[in-house]
Amino acid sequence: MTIDLEATGLSVRYGGNVAVDGVDLAVPTGRMVGMVGANGAGKSTLINALAGWSRGTPVVRGTVRLGGASMDGLSPHRRAAQGLVLVPEGKGIFSELTVMENLALVRPPADTTGRHLFSMEEIHELFPRLAERRHHKGGMLSGGERQMVAVSRALRAAPRVLLLDEPSAGLAPRLVYELLETMRKLVDRGLSLLLVEQNVRATLELVDELYLLERGKVVARGPAAAMKNDPRILEAYLGSLTA
Amino acid sequence: MTVHRLATSVALLLAALAYFVPAVAGGSPVAYAACTTIAILAVMSYGADLILSYLGEVSLGHTIFWAAGGYAAALLSVNAGWSGLPTAAAAVVVAIVLAVALGLATLRTREFVFSLVTYAAAVVAMEIAFNWSFLGGSDGIVGIPPLTIAVGSWRLSASGNDQLWPIAWVVLMATLLFIHRFRHSRLGTSALMVQMNPDLATALGIDARKVRLGVFVASAPISALAGWLYAYQRAYVGPDMFETYFLVLMLTAIVIVGRRLLLGPLIGTALIIVQQTFFSIGGDGDKIVLGSVLAAILLLWPRGLVGLWTVLASRPRVHGR
Amino acid sequence: MNILQQLINGLVLGSGYALIAIGWTVLLGAARLVNFAHGQLYMLGAFVAWAVMTKLGVNYFLAVPIAVVALGLLGVGLQGLMLRPVMQQNLTSLMIVTLGFGYVFQGGAARLFGGDPERFVSPLQAAEIRIGEIWFTWQDVLTLVGTLLLFGALWLVLNRTRVGAVVRSVAEDPRLAQLFGINAALVYIGVFVFECAAVALGAGLVAPRSPILTSMGFDEVILTFVVVVLGGIGSVTGSLVAGFGLGLFTALFGALVSSAYTTAAAFFVLLAFLVLRPRGLAAR
Ligand SMILES: Nc1ncnc2c1ncn2[C@@H]1O[C@H](COP(=O)(O)OP(=O)(O)OP(=O)(O)O)[C@@H](O)[C@H]1O
Ligand SMILES: [Mg+2]
Repeated sequence: MTIDLEATGLSVRYGGNVAVDGVDLAVPTGRMVGMVGANGAGKSTLINALAGWSRGTPVVRGTVRLGGASMDGLSPHRRAAQGLVLVPEGKGIFSELTVMENLALVRPPADTTGRHLFSMEEIHELFPRLAERRHHKGGMLSGGERQMVAVSRALRAAPRVLLLDEPSAGLAPRLVYELLETMRKLVDRGLSLLLVEQNVRATLELVDELYLLERGKVVARGPAAAMKNDPRILEAYLGSLTA
Repeated sequence: MTVHRLATSVALLLAALAYFVPAVAGGSPVAYAACTTIAILAVMSYGADLILSYLGEVSLGHTIFWAAGGYAAALLSVNAGWSGLPTAAAAVVVAIVLAVALGLATLRTREFVFSLVTYAAAVVAMEIAFNWSFLGGSDGIVGIPPLTIAVGSWRLSASGNDQLWPIAWVVLMATLLFIHRFRHSRLGTSALMVQMNPDLATALGIDARKVRLGVFVASAPISALAGWLYAYQRAYVGPDMFETYFLVLMLTAIVIVGRRLLLGPLIGTALIIVQQTFFSIGGDGDKIVLGSVLAAILLLWPRGLVGLWTVLASRPRVHGR
Repeated sequence: MNILQQLINGLVLGSGYALIAIGWTVLLGAARLVNFAHGQLYMLGAFVAWAVMTKLGVNYFLAVPIAVVALGLLGVGLQGLMLRPVMQQNLTSLMIVTLGFGYVFQGGAARLFGGDPERFVSPLQAAEIRIGEIWFTWQDVLTLVGTLLLFGALWLVLNRTRVGAVVRSVAEDPRLAQLFGINAALVYIGVFVFECAAVALGAGLVAPRSPILTSMGFDEVILTFVVVVLGGIGSVTGSLVAGFGLGLFTALFGALVSSAYTTAAAFFVLLAFLVLRPRGLAAR
């Protein structure tokens, strides 16, 4: 099993506040890795640091490797160009641009070895609604439609590893499953995916492997089947199941 | 309490020492001229400093208040024969009226729109000064009498720089005291809060617009008093008081040492005037120097020379680790 | 007093205002950047073209493109120096820094080109067209046509091409643009270079109307600021409309009321406008 994305000893500070503390993480090729944790656990900080991106001014330590190549010191647009594609939490598309323009901003790479190129037809197949909305401005879309555009543009960038930070935030429960199942299908076609999610139950159903983050540290990790019975997960997230 | 006392004593001592600077510097006319000019231009800069340091906005309109002070002194002393204190009071009143008008007009503007509107107002003011014969038109107003100050039976008449220096010193010290008070006042602290964290300020019930207007209006008389003294120093005022030179000088004086420092603009002005008086490389060359210093400071050490100092001072510790 | 003549003067003036303002409009709107050295760049554009013509004997129609390229290159250098405050979107710093640059240009140009007024002549300035009572020059026609073409081309690029979408995306959210694989720093440089080149073109077409001076900095272009704000910051169509509106206003005010106070009157209109509609004509 080859590793597509690997982080070792990753730490992130905001001023004196340590948000991520010495995390080791690996996303194997063609696997779906989930990450869960309480609000403020550092999930977004971590996934942003993998992409070398932030809206704040964090200090990042540790190494990130994509397909064996070091990403350290590379600016986010360079990492995106190499196939490390992040859909951030919250605002992920431009509201002044139409759906088409948002999608056309990314240019598929010339060299697609090890990457997963999605044509516009495939994207419209995944999200039929976007075809109807293609001339609408981003600001006029519903929250769910925005997430679809955000994910679609990431797919248009031909990711090697896709990083999704709460793609289902604000979606209706049925849509959450739909979106995550779509993601699972892509992984089954060979994409490597790191998914940050609040919905632990849905995540456990679909991922191959799960990390539990607490106060910036990985406190548990393992195959999804095993994590289902991990006492910390049971207690904190699936409590109602055993009660 | 004792710390406070000590600080007060040191400040008073420094202020007293400052009085003797031109005498110690040789007591020549050039020394008095340079010191008086530094005091005047520093006071002018303190007006703009209130806006830049405490509101975080760039006012390009403070030449209006500076010129208003000068024109008030010139018109009233030449045409009406008023003495120094009444003309000073008039300068302050005119500046406040103008500042309220401009402050209200720009109340809803921010950032570059604020800067450009204040600049536009300065262009309008210059055009008026240039064309209106009441203000002397393009020739300005000449023949301003010596500055006389009469309190009861006590009278002082100052014409040369050596005689104007004590007055310039008093104005400078009064300005410093005012700025010091302002920094600790409700208005000053509210202004900083509005600049640093507008949401929090609103949550605490601070009315950002009132604060902005208040600071703007408080800043105008400072620059106006500087202009008032400048009129007596040159015995002439004219539309050249609107020149970009004064604007660039104000901003450079403020940022050179570091924003939000009590003595920053004074030291900054002193550095600039000493360069231009004693190490001048010609008018155009001095422009290049002044402009480059302004740009370089902000690009290299945005926090001013004080920021540079912190960088240098912290270096050994980093190596030691 | 011929109203038709004044209307034509207004259109000519207005196309000049719009042309000089366009770089600023794009810079402010597309990149949320400011450049207070705009006036001195205008002055430099005129003087570079003038110097190339008088010192090297180059013809006007080649001298203006040379000035455009020269100012574009200067823009690369300036933007390189300002990259840090630009990426931090620190407008306060940028305003002061560019004011400093402007002052340096003014001093430098005075040393280089001297302090006297110079005649920057376009051959088209002398070629007049008379139709009955009214007259204008071929230079006026060139300015008007050039302005309309430039605005049209700019509108198409900004709204109908991928490059335009990239510029608009960086304007809206430079950080997010990075995740789309866009190099925001490069976009900022491009926009800044456009501003410098466009103001040089404006100088090449408009400056021959009167003698040029190295001290003709900001005040020369401050009227175009009215165009930028009235048009709605960053709106290309808005600034074209505002440019013509201002041109007509100044021509008519100058002819009917007073020519000495034209600038003052234009700014009073602006102030009144800001009190009523702080975000300009194009504001929704
Ligand atoms: N830009 C920032 N500046 C300073 N501190 C920040 C910043 N972003 C996040 N933090 C802090 O870092 C910590 C981790 O935040 P992060 O957003 O990574 O959490 P999270 O696990 O994604 O939470 P959520 O589930 O709510 O999205 C928090 O304590 C937060 O306050
Ligand atoms: Mg998060």
